[in-house]
Amino acid sequence: MAAKRQVRLTVNGTQYEASVEPRMTLVDFLRGELGLNGTHVGCEHGVCGACTILLEGRAVRACLMLAVQADGANIMTVEGLAPDGKLHPIQEAFIEEHGLQCGFCTPGFLMSVYELLHDNPNPSEEAILDSLGGNICRCTGYQSIRKSVRLAAEKVRTSSSAPQGG
Amino acid sequence: MAVDIQSSIGQLPVGEARFVGKSVKRVEDPLLVTGRVEFIDNVVLPGMLHCAILRSPYAHARIRSVDVSEARKLPGVFAVVTGEDAKRWTQPGPASPEGWGAHCLAVDKVRFVGEPVAAVAATSRYVAEDAIELINVDYDPLPPVVDAFKAAQADGPLVFEDKGTNIMYQRVFKWGEVDDAFRDADRVFTEQFRWHRLGANPMETFGVVSQWDPVDGSVTIHGAYQAPTHMAIGRAIVLQLPMNKVRVIGHPHGGSFGGKGGARGTDITALLSRKTGGRPVKWIEDRIEYITGGGSQAWDRHYEVALAVKKDGTVTGLKVKLLDDLGATGEGFGAIGAAKPLASFTGCYAIPVAEYDLTLVATNKLPAGPYRGMGPPPHNFVLEQMMDIAARGLGIDPAEIRRKNFIPPDRFPYTIASGNEYDSGEYEAALNTVLEMSDYSRLRQEQAEARKRGRYLGIGVVSTIEPGVFDWNAYAIVGVPGTGVPEGVTVSIDLFGKILVNVGFPIEGQGQYTLATQILADYFGVELADVRVVMQDTLSAPPNFGPGGSHLGVALTGAILGAADRLRDKLVAVAARLMQTEAQHVELKEGKLRIKGVPGAEMPVAQVAAVMLTRSDLLPPDMEQRPEATYVWTSPGRTPADDQGRAKSYLTAANACHVALVEIDPGTGKVAILKYWIADDCGVRLNPANVEGMIDGGVAQGVGAALLEEYVYNEEGQLLTSTFMDYLLPTIHDVPVTEKKGLVTPSPFTPLGAKGVGEGAIHTTPAAIMCAINDALLPLGVRTTEVPATPQRLWTLMRSAQQPS
Repeated sequence: MAAKRQVRLTVNGTQYEASVEPRMTLVDFLRGELGLNGTHVGCEHGVCGACTILLEGRAVRACLMLAVQADGANIMTVEGLAPDGKLHPIQEAFIEEHGLQCGFCTPGFLMSVYELLHDNPNPSEEAILDSLGGNICRCTGYQSIRKSVRLAAEKVRTSSSAPQGG
Repeated sequence: MAVDIQSSIGQLPVGEARFVGKSVKRVEDPLLVTGRVEFIDNVVLPGMLHCAILRSPYAHARIRSVDVSEARKLPGVFAVVTGEDAKRWTQPGPASPEGWGAHCLAVDKVRFVGEPVAAVAATSRYVAEDAIELINVDYDPLPPVVDAFKAAQADGPLVFEDKGTNIMYQRVFKWGEVDDAFRDADRVFTEQFRWHRLGANPMETFGVVSQWDPVDGSVTIHGAYQAPTHMAIGRAIVLQLPMNKVRVIGHPHGGSFGGKGGARGTDITALLSRKTGGRPVKWIEDRIEYITGGGSQAWDRHYEVALAVKKDGTVTGLKVKLLDDLGATGEGFGAIGAAKPLASFTGCYAIPVAEYDLTLVATNKLPAGPYRGMGPPPHNFVLEQMMDIAARGLGIDPAEIRRKNFIPPDRFPYTIASGNEYDSGEYEAALNTVLEMSDYSRLRQEQAEARKRGRYLGIGVVSTIEPGVFDWNAYAIVGVPGTGVPEGVTVSIDLFGKILVNVGFPIEGQGQYTLATQILADYFGVELADVRVVMQDTLSAPPNFGPGGSHLGVALTGAILGAADRLRDKLVAVAARLMQTEAQHVELKEGKLRIKGVPGAEMPVAQVAAVMLTRSDLLPPDMEQRPEATYVWTSPGRTPADDQGRAKSYLTAANACHVALVEIDPGTGKVAILKYWIADDCGVRLNPANVEGMIDGGVAQGVGAALLEEYVYNEEGQLLTSTFMDYLLPTIHDVPVTEKKGLVTPSPFTPLGAKGVGEGAIHTTPAAIMCAINDALLPLGVRTTEVPATPQRLWTLMRSAQQPS
């Protein structure tokens, strides 16, 4: 066990400071140390996308990063989508279009969609597929997810809560 | 008290149902989309330790010794357990076939790569992982048996020496005069098929927190269980505790599809907790553990099939010989998957006689378990291929040979050769619907033109049955006891008129809490937000099973309506007394208890419930102060299996017809699904969006089964596909957008006329895609009989056909 290292980072607008083992993954840090349990661990080898978060506004796999690598970073997790309990339009769209079943992969999908709509509020079907090609859902068959993203784009375009940079 | 449950939505006590039958938003979703659901890995208990498991690197080896002394010394380690502890404190786990179980930690020898050998409880998972690296196991490797055919031979290595054989089960079932049918047939078509291992892979792996109480000798277990009650029964047996000292608390979980596993992990954490004197011990299975040692694998099958057919295409007999490789033990209950096809052995077809020659063997691979569908997906793949082979042989269109053999609508309820009774069906209507949707005749023309241009286009047309609402009697042939699967709920109304439902199962994705909410909101005339569904642990819940075997939608509907009827009767009795009339004059309608035919003489449900809780002086004699009722629903009319395994087992028979249009790239062997049409009849749809979700998800898993997913073991019994980089799950790029239509043939036997629907699409999709692939290959004169149809397999096959031999 190596000596602990100090990390400072901002998650969902809140600053955190902690000392962690260098080997601790970022997702274990977010869940275990900060209690942000909305980010889920599905494979721990970077394929399934359940642990997707936004780091400096870009979708990344929190299982493939170490906490110490996120020192100084600005992070957004699913908890940041509805900080006051009011659902984000992307979340509303997934509910309305039945874009989830078990819901375990959903936080990762939501973060990928957030990034997509931030970059491109009116994405083509091809752009939707490209942005979600790294998120696996075992329940829905993706058809309702495609509909959810289209509805989310529509909602985001007409609402004031357009995705901001993470 | 007898309850006469409503057989249609129109019989609910509302003018027009506002929620039942509608695609209402799911009550489960707000917590799920905000990441606030308490999945098992969120559970943190005071003093909790973390477990890591050391697993066998060998498929087959004797354990000479396990040295844990260094691991014990590592700071932060609180307990280490090995097979010696398992032998001392536990029994081998329940298994099917009976007697083929194993201890939770290997005792004396290991039987598959990934089998748990020792485990550690430490202050963190990181420390626990450090500790297992310090455990020294001295193995004496034995030759493994990996191939099912070799396993069945008498002279190879034995997975269980004391059994003297690797054959776990062997029996031939004959239903009717099968030999006569084959003797009298105009044509007999035969083929062999191979369905490789695949499995569930829910996005959340299994996880558990166990806490032993050393004072009263009880255990409390939080876990991601599909069926908490059955996990509790198993733990009582393994941990040798009375059931009332086993408290299992199911947690919402991230999918299961039958393949959640978890028995060994639960027992190991319970043992570790016991050794620490009662600290809670958590184990979260990682993905590689899930794939190599969890509930991940199912259906490793070799088939030989024969179909007896008349010249006109009438199928007169079916013979299926199955060699099913169950892996190292029977602990996964994979045997059930070989028994379930009895519930729909001859599919949609009026095939009068059939034979099933079934052999289950043990090999040094992960014990096979359940996966969505529980056995029919490979069986249907085989049956539907044979229908196509017969159609080609006789020069009949694949759609027409199916039409010719369908069980006609006027013959329901219809008893199939293997004994189950189908409730209702309109198979030809579904076929016509899907043929019309796909513009089938034009599709054939397009295919002919494409072939002229050298393109390999194929069309698959298949029609299947989804047996719904399982019963234990369906699995009698592999030793599963019992008849009837109780599903119980308790419904109560509180002081302020809100409704609480207690169930025994956690959410896992099918929207069952929404279904319960829809029914009760309509029944008592309240809003969806006025109903809350809460799970109870196994010491509190009424008898229940939970999701599985396409059972819960129908069973929960029955339980909810049964409890609601009982509760209504109490409210009616109280309201009658309050309104000074007889109970027979009072009815529940639109959320009010009304005197029939007297406008304005009514009381809201909430008011009557509040009187029950607060005014004993106003209640009829003997009325409990308790606006609450429990009902346990069981599938009616189930019969024990006869000596050939025949029983009225699954209550409903849903039907689906799929048409797939595929194209194979001859340069790579890769299959593209160009279009996909579905006509599905699962009776009355209680929440159409949920039903569509079940179908869409089943299609995706069917695409994975047909084209992508395969566990590959090498000759040493090493799993070569232990990550998602090698075991390929369908992504958003792989799954087609389908065009769907629903037909509604209500079940005459179920509450509200609904049928089980959770598994039908995975029953059908692999067959449809494989039929389409073989249709595409027709000009080459070859066919594939192996699932999945990977690019490598198809490319090799196409090359062999193109080259002169």
